[in-house]
Amino acid sequence: MGTIQFSSVGKTYPGGVLALENVNFTVGEGEFVALLGPSGCGKSTLLNLIAGFERLSDGQMSFNGQGVTKPGPDRGVVFQEASLLPWLNVWENVVFGPKVQGMPRNIYEPRAQEILRVMGLEKFHKSLPVQLSGGMRQRVGIARALVMQPKALLMDEPFGALDAQTRLSMQELLLDIWQSLKTTVLFVTHDIDEAILLADRVCVMTARPGRITRDIRIDIPRPRSINTLTSGDFTTYKAMIMAEMRGLHPHH
Amino acid sequence: MTSSRVRRWLLAIVLPIAAVGLWQAAGTDGSLAGGALPTPDRVWRAWVTWAFGHAGPMTLSPYVGTWAEAVGHSAERVAKGFAVAILLGVPLGVLIGWSRLVSAMVDPSIQWLRPVPITAWLPISLAIFGIRDFGAIFLITIGAFYPIVINTTQGARDVEKNWIRAALMMGAKPFDILRRVILPAALPSIFTGLRIGLGIGWTAVIVAEMVAVKSGLGYVLWDAYYVGRMDIVIADMVSIGLFGFLSDWAIVRLEMWALNWRRLQSFNQ
Ligand SMILES: Nc1ncnc2c1ncn2[C@@H]1O[C@H](COP(=O)(O)OP(=O)(O)OP(=O)(O)O)[C@@H](O)[C@H]1O
Ligand SMILES: [Mg+2]
Repeated sequence: MGTIQFSSVGKTYPGGVLALENVNFTVGEGEFVALLGPSGCGKSTLLNLIAGFERLSDGQMSFNGQGVTKPGPDRGVVFQEASLLPWLNVWENVVFGPKVQGMPRNIYEPRAQEILRVMGLEKFHKSLPVQLSGGMRQRVGIARALVMQPKALLMDEPFGALDAQTRLSMQELLLDIWQSLKTTVLFVTHDIDEAILLADRVCVMTARPGRITRDIRIDIPRPRSINTLTSGDFTTYKAMIMAEMRGLHPHH
Repeated sequence: MTSSRVRRWLLAIVLPIAAVGLWQAAGTDGSLAGGALPTPDRVWRAWVTWAFGHAGPMTLSPYVGTWAEAVGHSAERVAKGFAVAILLGVPLGVLIGWSRLVSAMVDPSIQWLRPVPITAWLPISLAIFGIRDFGAIFLITIGAFYPIVINTTQGARDVEKNWIRAALMMGAKPFDILRRVILPAALPSIFTGLRIGLGIGWTAVIVAEMVAVKSGLGYVLWDAYYVGRMDIVIADMVSIGLFGFLSDWAIVRLEMWALNWRRLQSFNQ
């Protein structure tokens, strides 16, 4: 249930861009792992591989011990810009998955209502994505993934486009949800604070070709909140990761 | 009505009124250009008779009270041909835009056939369908098909990758992707194609009726010219313009309704 495994994974894009080389790592059941790295290091590529959006060029990967060939509702993906279907309202976006899967209405409707309530969107069922703020849109993006009760959540810089304040409240919301669901999460970010605050493990990546250079366990007790950001432990981890990343980029 | 809308209306009718006024003033004895061109007042009277006149048993002129019938014939043909063009063009365009295989197989043929103008299809149409409605509808379908299929293809090709990925992630099957993602995402382009296609449909119906059938505005246009009724010719032309304009307006209204999400989008940006 919800384990992700990469072994010796390589990805070369058509045109010869070597995006990933010899990537090895595992995300355990119910674990929250952050992938941290500079722009272009292959974070999205890695996530798109396990999501089933891109094909492997080298090595093996598996989800729950099974090879991945195509996307599916067992892996809920949250995109950076939410990527909601703009012609559907909030409700229609959230029930899209259950509907196309042929799930009975009396099962998915209460579930969708509950998730939208938790997300603070109960007054916005009829709103179109364009009528929502960025943070609300992203909450819909998370809701439509959660409504499928996926075994893993794959999140690609889901809060990257939000302002600092909204981002903090979204991080807290995600912590709350994860605390109660304990779904496996693979979370891509280039924000060190975000990675430490949320994750059990932070995997630091380097570019050209993309590889994982450090795998750091974050032993800050849960439940965490934004107060964690000012704790001593947090600062220690941050200094360590910054040193690691600076080491990777001697010119910066 | 707001004052800006009134202003827009006034601005829009300045040119037509000026043109008609000049035309009327330039004429002598109800005609212009040595009798070839009747003045607007004569055209108007001809149209009133054509539209509302009561034909008695002794009436010889076909231009008494037959306008609605002529309009009806043409509009019905355009509607039928246009409907067939939509039923063929939209699904085919979605498929071409979605599948590289279909695109490689079908797109070249469409591009080769497209330069053949509808007028060049006339002989074949006559040979196959004879002087019957089918011929006209066939030409309208051909004329409207190309812009519809090409714009639909374009729209289906330009669908944002992440919309498709999101749908796949939620468990959508290929047919769901076509119907629930690609079709709605391509709708703005599809409407562009519909508007162009409908315009060509009106051209096609006039051409077809001039040659391939014996009713409708196109038939009347040519027939009236032969018997020297230039007032009817002009009234007929104005009618074509009016109905072309009205049907385009109907499509624009439909588009505004169907693409409400897009209008909101452009207001917010
Ligand atoms: N479809 C593609 N075709 C060719 N090259 C690609 C493609 N997608 C990504 N790349 C290249 O692969 C490398 C890794 O890209 P990727 O998007 O995975 O990086 P990233 O770490 O997610 O960056 P960012 O933080 O900017 O999102 C980059 O050099 C990028 O240019
Ligand atoms: Mg990325």
